[in-house]
Amino acid sequence: MMTMRTNGDAAAGGISFWDRRRTAARPGFNRFMVPPAALAVHLSIGQVYAFSTFNLPLTRLVGIGHALPADWKLTEIGWIFSTAILFLGAAAAVFGRWVESAGPRKAMAVAAACFGGGFVVSAVGIDLHQIWLLYLGYGVLGGCGLGIGYISPVSTLIKWFPDRPGMATGMAIMGFGGGALIAAPLSLILMNHFKSAASNGVAGAFLSMGCIYFAFMMIGALTVRVPPEGWRPAGWAPPALPKKLITNAQVQVDTAWRTPQFWLLWGVLCLNVTAGIGVIGQASPMIQEMFSGRVSPAAAAGFVGLLSLFNMGGRFVWATISDYIGRRVTYCVFFVLGIVLYASVPAIGRLGSIGLFVAAFVVILSMYGGGFATIPAYLRDIFGTMHVGAIHGRLLTAWSAAGVLGPVLINYIREYQIHSGVPKAQAYSVTMYIMCVLLLLGLLCNLGVRAVDERHHSREPVPA
Amino acid sequence: MTKIRLLALWLVVGLPLLWGIARTLQNAMHLFH
Repeated sequence: MMTMRTNGDAAAGGISFWDRRRTAARPGFNRFMVPPAALAVHLSIGQVYAFSTFNLPLTRLVGIGHALPADWKLTEIGWIFSTAILFLGAAAAVFGRWVESAGPRKAMAVAAACFGGGFVVSAVGIDLHQIWLLYLGYGVLGGCGLGIGYISPVSTLIKWFPDRPGMATGMAIMGFGGGALIAAPLSLILMNHFKSAASNGVAGAFLSMGCIYFAFMMIGALTVRVPPEGWRPAGWAPPALPKKLITNAQVQVDTAWRTPQFWLLWGVLCLNVTAGIGVIGQASPMIQEMFSGRVSPAAAAGFVGLLSLFNMGGRFVWATISDYIGRRVTYCVFFVLGIVLYASVPAIGRLGSIGLFVAAFVVILSMYGGGFATIPAYLRDIFGTMHVGAIHGRLLTAWSAAGVLGPVLINYIREYQIHSGVPKAQAYSVTMYIMCVLLLLGLLCNLGVRAVDERHHSREPVPA
Repeated sequence: MTKIRLLALWLVVGLPLLWGIARTLQNAMHLFH
């Protein structure tokens, strides 16, 4: 189909290898090389979802088999993940414009250096037993790698796939959900490999993962190409009659975030994520408490794995579906179906049907993932392609907000219920109804999204 | 050549993912035993 060859003449002009202009594709290049390049980055940074694999081993670095007073506490370890997520949101928001101007190759390479380097600094911290090096390494440096890596392929994919932007970004963002499926067993294998009488193997595992992820992300950085200016897929033309919610105009990032559309979409993402994120953290105790005595810890772990799988699959499937039914309708499905499913969970619990319970939550988690994967294409529809990566970066602050709101709602309301004498099996009912209210608010935000007013449109040409 | 590079790249990213999916499904089987 679209065939191009890598640009060679730019090299003669003394342009740096990492420069955006050196990544422009020529006839001979197949655009389907770009999604796996993006996947290489997202599969790597998706490791963050499996960080909890290291929690217990990190509390036993001195005592090896058991924790000693000199060992780090679980509460101290928890801050490593929280710092990384905080810096993910901050880096995506702050470096979004730089990522757009630097181009995907340089951005992916910087993300690889930060994420891989973060592991290496942390490995040194583990070896010296200095926790601040883990906060600095995995938390700050790794977190910046997460943020830059997350947004780096988005606008490139949208430009290569103007005919199917949802499918293209869904494929990449699916990698972020799938990263944990690889990282969790990989971490255990590496820790076992480096385990000895004097060490539980965490430092070796961190060092190896830093090298592995750096190399894997660099494959993406070296493979990715941007389309030449004005490029279009063969046989495709933008619709002559533009649809109401798909613009052919461009909105700059500094203008976009001052429009009501940005904040409505911020609300859509935040509320959709809040509804799912609370479940992810509590899935294992929830299924064990709602079906007391019928679900073993091993089966609950299997349930968590199944949720991760649907979280990943939903990213690709829903984002692809959104190319056909439209972004607004897709989010309406998320919110309406989410309300129905959350509202039915208490009844399913009373029925005692584990199968129905699992079915309801895998669909909910598929829509949680779908919400992440569909938002870049929604932003492209509303604001155009010019600064879509930078706008996406700023919108990801909604994720950080939801990361606090979701678990707080689930945990605190459950605690309050149990203290008020509600049996554990029924303690989740109120939470489920609160999730329904949040989803209803999300639905209203989504229904409020309109095309951006013409006065906000940019007159500048769109770079390749 | 382009097709070989395309296939190789998809294999490089696809195989680790398939491995992760297989391990997850294996663990999920506990739910139905």
